[in-house]
Amino acid sequence: MTKAILTAWQRIRRAPYQTLAAVSIMTMTLFLASIFFLIAAGSQAVLKYFETRPQVNAFYRPDYIPKSEQIASIKSELESTGLVESFKYISKEDALKLYQDLNKSDPLLLEAVTAQMLPASLEISAKSPSDLKIISQAVQRIEGIDDVRFAEDIVSSLTQWTNSVRIIGGSLIGTHILITLIIILLIIGIKVANRRDEIQVLQLVGATPGFISSPFIWEGIIYGLFGAVIAWVVSYLLLLSSMNFLNTFLSGIPILPVSIWFMLKLLIAELGVGALVGGLGGIIASRRFLKA
Amino acid sequence: MVVAEDLTKKFGSLVALDKVNVAINAGEFVFLTGPSGSGKTTFLRLIIRDLKPDGGKVQVNDQDLNGLPSKKLPLFRRNIGMVYQDFKLLNDLSVRENVALPLEVRGVRSQDIKSAVNIALEMVGLDKKDTLFPAQLSGGELQRVGLARAIVGKPKLLLADEPTGNLDPKTAKAIVKLMKEIHTHLHTTVIIATHNSEIVNLYNLRVIALENGRLVKDLSEGKYD
Repeated sequence: MTKAILTAWQRIRRAPYQTLAAVSIMTMTLFLASIFFLIAAGSQAVLKYFETRPQVNAFYRPDYIPKSEQIASIKSELESTGLVESFKYISKEDALKLYQDLNKSDPLLLEAVTAQMLPASLEISAKSPSDLKIISQAVQRIEGIDDVRFAEDIVSSLTQWTNSVRIIGGSLIGTHILITLIIILLIIGIKVANRRDEIQVLQLVGATPGFISSPFIWEGIIYGLFGAVIAWVVSYLLLLSSMNFLNTFLSGIPILPVSIWFMLKLLIAELGVGALVGGLGGIIASRRFLKA
Repeated sequence: MVVAEDLTKKFGSLVALDKVNVAINAGEFVFLTGPSGSGKTTFLRLIIRDLKPDGGKVQVNDQDLNGLPSKKLPLFRRNIGMVYQDFKLLNDLSVRENVALPLEVRGVRSQDIKSAVNIALEMVGLDKKDTLFPAQLSGGELQRVGLARAIVGKPKLLLADEPTGNLDPKTAKAIVKLMKEIHTHLHTTVIIATHNSEIVNLYNLRVIALENGRLVKDLSEGKYD
């Protein structure tokens, strides 16, 4: 195997333009894959964030203060439906604390507001976003409830967006992988054809098809590994340089910074895809010639 | 060692070999003679299964090549050494690397390859030129490298297709002499295809003559007319 890798490396060094073409197309495809993967993973994280947030907020009339027995009864009734993940009662005093936390940088806003002015509320998290409507309808019937709000629109838009990213990204990446495979196949195919005399000699001295094709397969794998590393470095640098913009864009949604482990997993996946596509190109190109 | 029965090979309408029957025993040294186009190269290519016959059969070491599966072809060829008129050396490999090729493909340990290559190069008198590349060698030296590559794996059968075709008379004689020495030393069966009558007539050995694809002569101690 070491001999085959060394031979492949020698051949790569001897054909710099073919190597450049092969690594470039591999880099382009894997960079595209990185970007779409990061967008899809980011969208998924945002969606998850919204899904795990209290999704139904039911506000009591400002003059209405529910009794603790009432809250306990509402809680057990909602939990008995099996649709509720968590239930929380926010009293007027809790609401004031939340208000003060949110506006601590603006003393003028704090002075003007008292607990009496704020409504008590219920925060209910659903197990599935599809149950939000049912829960909100149930909550609307509770005595003293004035207004019910839920994040159905955000979740459904995000779900649509995430699905679109997956479908568009998947199709684009799939097409690019196919194009890359064809180009790698052509490049290695040319090299195989150029070495037909050598292959003939190897066959005559008793080389197996595996021995003959292994340097070509390794050549494809090396193209793939180089492409993967370059694509990963470029996409990581792009992500780091966009951090300020992304932090502003995703204000309050804690998905940044992306952990290094996540990025390392992405690198491993890219190395795998690159090696697979390159290796497959090498196998098809050399086997096609050996069969001919 | 090599048995051909009604061996026939056609290339389109051209009959390259026409029902050739011949048996060559282990340890023999045979000249396969005939003018260009008589079928000598075709006969050798059929022996190493570089071609498949259109009729009849050829047996090498009791192995009927018609029934030899493609998977077993590399293993079969490892028992045969072949020398070519155009040497068929790899230009980007050194003399040592070219000679080592048959052992490399077998996965022999590098230590064993080194000693086997040393022996083969010594036998052909090129042990001092092992680091040179084919472009740096003369025609005679190139053929010696080809010969060293053919014998490095200690084959049971050594085939040579016009090994002197590209060499001057003196070098040609030296190469055949060397092959005769290898035959004596390693007890390898040798078949040399040649149309060089001067060389054939130097030795009083078996001569099989082909003409237009047909066997016209098979003498145990023959001359090339």
